[in-house]
Amino acid sequence: MDPLNQVRDPMLLESIINFAGMIGLVGMILLSIVLVFKMERLRTLNAELAKLRRAFEELDEQAKLIVRTDLELHRAQEELDKKVAGLVTLQKLTRLLTTTLDEEEIFHKLDERNICELGYDRALGFTRDGQGSFLVRIAIGYAPAEAQALAGEFTGQPMIVDKVLGKSNVFASSDSDRTAQEIPRLLKALGLSSFVCAPIPQKDGAIGALVLGYESPYTHLTDSDKDLVYVLAAQIGQALENAKLFEEQWRAQQDLENKIQQRTRELTAALQEIKAISKRKSDFISAVSHELRTPLTSIKGYASIVAAGKLGELPPAAKERIEKINKHSDNLSSLINNLLDIARIESGREVLKFEAVNLKALADNLADMLAPPMKDKGIEFSIQIPPEVPLVRADRNQIDRVFINIVGNAIKFTPPGGRITVAARLQDPQTVEIKVSDTGIGIAPNDLEKIFEEFYRVDNEVNQSAKGTGLGLTLVKYIVEAHHGKLSVSSQVGHGSHFIFTLPKA
Amino acid sequence: MSILIGIGTSNKKDPFAAASEAANFALHQIHHKEITLALLFSTIHFADKRLLEGITYNLGRVPVLGCTGANLITSKGITNYGVGLMLFSCPGKLRLGCAASHNIHLQNARDAGKEFADLALHNLGGTQRDLALIFPDGLIENGSEFLRGIKEAFGLSFPIFGGSSADNLRFHRTFQYFNGQLLSQSIVGAVFAGDNLFGIGLRHGWKPLGRPHLITEAKGNVIKKIEDKPAVSIYEEYFGKTLAEIKKDLIRISIYYPLGIYVAGEAEYLLRNALRIDDDGGLVCQGDAAQGSDARLMMGTKDWALEAATEAAKEARAGLEGKTIKGALIFESISRHKLLGRLTERELLRIKEVLGNIPIIGIGTFGEQAPLKALERHGETYFHNETIAILAIGEPHGSA
Repeated sequence: MDPLNQVRDPMLLESIINFAGMIGLVGMILLSIVLVFKMERLRTLNAELAKLRRAFEELDEQAKLIVRTDLELHRAQEELDKKVAGLVTLQKLTRLLTTTLDEEEIFHKLDERNICELGYDRALGFTRDGQGSFLVRIAIGYAPAEAQALAGEFTGQPMIVDKVLGKSNVFASSDSDRTAQEIPRLLKALGLSSFVCAPIPQKDGAIGALVLGYESPYTHLTDSDKDLVYVLAAQIGQALENAKLFEEQWRAQQDLENKIQQRTRELTAALQEIKAISKRKSDFISAVSHELRTPLTSIKGYASIVAAGKLGELPPAAKERIEKINKHSDNLSSLINNLLDIARIESGREVLKFEAVNLKALADNLADMLAPPMKDKGIEFSIQIPPEVPLVRADRNQIDRVFINIVGNAIKFTPPGGRITVAARLQDPQTVEIKVSDTGIGIAPNDLEKIFEEFYRVDNEVNQSAKGTGLGLTLVKYIVEAHHGKLSVSSQVGHGSHFIFTLPKA
Repeated sequence: MSILIGIGTSNKKDPFAAASEAANFALHQIHHKEITLALLFSTIHFADKRLLEGITYNLGRVPVLGCTGANLITSKGITNYGVGLMLFSCPGKLRLGCAASHNIHLQNARDAGKEFADLALHNLGGTQRDLALIFPDGLIENGSEFLRGIKEAFGLSFPIFGGSSADNLRFHRTFQYFNGQLLSQSIVGAVFAGDNLFGIGLRHGWKPLGRPHLITEAKGNVIKKIEDKPAVSIYEEYFGKTLAEIKKDLIRISIYYPLGIYVAGEAEYLLRNALRIDDDGGLVCQGDAAQGSDARLMMGTKDWALEAATEAAKEARAGLEGKTIKGALIFESISRHKLLGRLTERELLRIKEVLGNIPIIGIGTFGEQAPLKALERHGETYFHNETIAILAIGEPHGSA
């Protein structure tokens, strides 16, 4: 059968068409199913993508949050770093400033290196001088003439004068008050992007100001800048105050020292004069005494011859007169001898013969020697020199005279039945103290200072009746001093006296 | 003869006295031997002719290179006020050709770079060369452009190492030292030839934050548009601040949050500081940023910065391939010191832990120059921001 005829068979053709339609339909259905699945997948992917995009955007938003927070953290960290670094440097500077007592040096300490360490680029410091104008003390980053002009510029700003110098407040170029016009001009003149100006305070208010500034426009001022500059300026003020006080104290001390030196010079001159006078006096006394002693010896000699009756027996009245001449001659001789001794010791002409002297033996000897007058007055004599008291280094004869004079006086001024004590002790390892005490009439306080003066005699009943030269205690004083000892007296009227002197241990 | 390296420092107020003190310290350490090179660095306070006069007076006419820094780094510590001098005595081991190109702001930066490099090569003579050390003015707006000129002369893969001079963050004027001359707006440096004595380490430690942003329009160092919006919008959006606020705080924000440009094959992003904002909202950066690349906002922490210093030191040490380390130069972005704050000294300790107690000198810079390591970059030198670059100097064991 012709295939064409077969196709032309309507039934067959219909069957073929139906089959093809079926296939197409199935294909369409399958395609639709695939498409639906694909669409679904696409939708899922789109949803995933949208989710991812959203997450991505959210992450980006979080990143924004992170950087904003981080920026603030950096700001806080910078501020903290600045504060810590500033405090460390400030502490160092404070130490430098407080150990400086020279005004110029205080300002020199704030040199470029220190200002740089504080984190600033330039500095200007000025203080009032005596005439009321301002003197530049710190100029870092400025030539001297430029700095002086800038100080004038600063102090010409009423706002700064009022706020900083008047009210002692700190001022920053970033302070937003009525500074809009003035500050930019000042900043330009200073060559700075920002600055802090703080008063240099003293008790009576600000004496000047300290300006520290940044050149970099990218360094912003903060409150810590104000605190830092304020504290530094206060430290300068304190250091200046200290320097001023030190200067005043130093000057006062210098004045005092000058006065002392002047007074010492005057006293030395006076002492020299006194010594010269004293020497002249000693020389005079010595000369006069020598001149007096020669004729006195003759008088005494002749008087003795006459009194002895070698020139014939004298009538009683003449004999009595001759004996008086003899006695007065003895007194005069004693006076002259004392004067000569004093003059010799005072002038250093008397050479002492030092030796080891046993005080106990000396006192015992003295007791024997003065026993008669003491016995006459019923005076008890006591020696209290323990064996452990060492020997003294002294001129035996001169120390004998010291004892005789002091104990002799004690006998003289102690009423009958009284007591005289000679005691000694070791005052320190090198010195022996000797004390002569009596229960005599005592010495009035105003006489105590004078009894060692030459020819001074206390005005009392005993002296009025008894003879004396007024040279005994003077001689004692010279002898003790010639032994490098000290002599003192204490007394109470009616209760006796204590004469104390020291001698070096042998 | 062994390489001798000595350092001297001073903070004497008078620049001449400071130079003298530093010179005498350093001379003592090299036993007064012949000086091959003197590297002189100081903070801005000492940028004075008398500083160089002091150096010449004490050392005679020796090659002097250096510049001012935002701070001074030496083995003794980091200071904001001082002078540091490193003396090299290595006759016969190191040859150098020094050069300076002046007034680079007045000429095309690329031409200035080329002029510098040609002159250095001419002064070096011969064909062998190992490394170039450069100190360009840190206030040049596009640090990549003069580098391009230098690379034209030296070749793309030639290692260039350096630090951009800085001032006390005033961004007003920086200085370069070249023999007896006190220069500004110049580039000074030298090209060295020797026994491959150098190892370079480079790291910053900043990490990306947030999503990538496509740079849709850029020209040289100006990123004009990011995702078809003015580039500054990236900062506006992230910090939630107005344009005026961003303008006011840009340097600060940019120091803490630089932009990172993805560099294929590199361990870290290439960082860019924005210096200012153009009228059209474009960000003017210190170095190039290519159109079509992804920019990320970067964030740093003290720990990451310290870790980066350790890594950079290790990398520099590894670059010496076992040689004895004799000394090191550190050029480190001042931004890092802002981030580290009082921990800055700790960073130096980290470096010394790796390199040992050797003479170290360097400065806080306004930009760093060092080669990238990735194979795709063929060792090409790039301009960096916020980075610590360490150059270790060594010599083979047993050298005498």
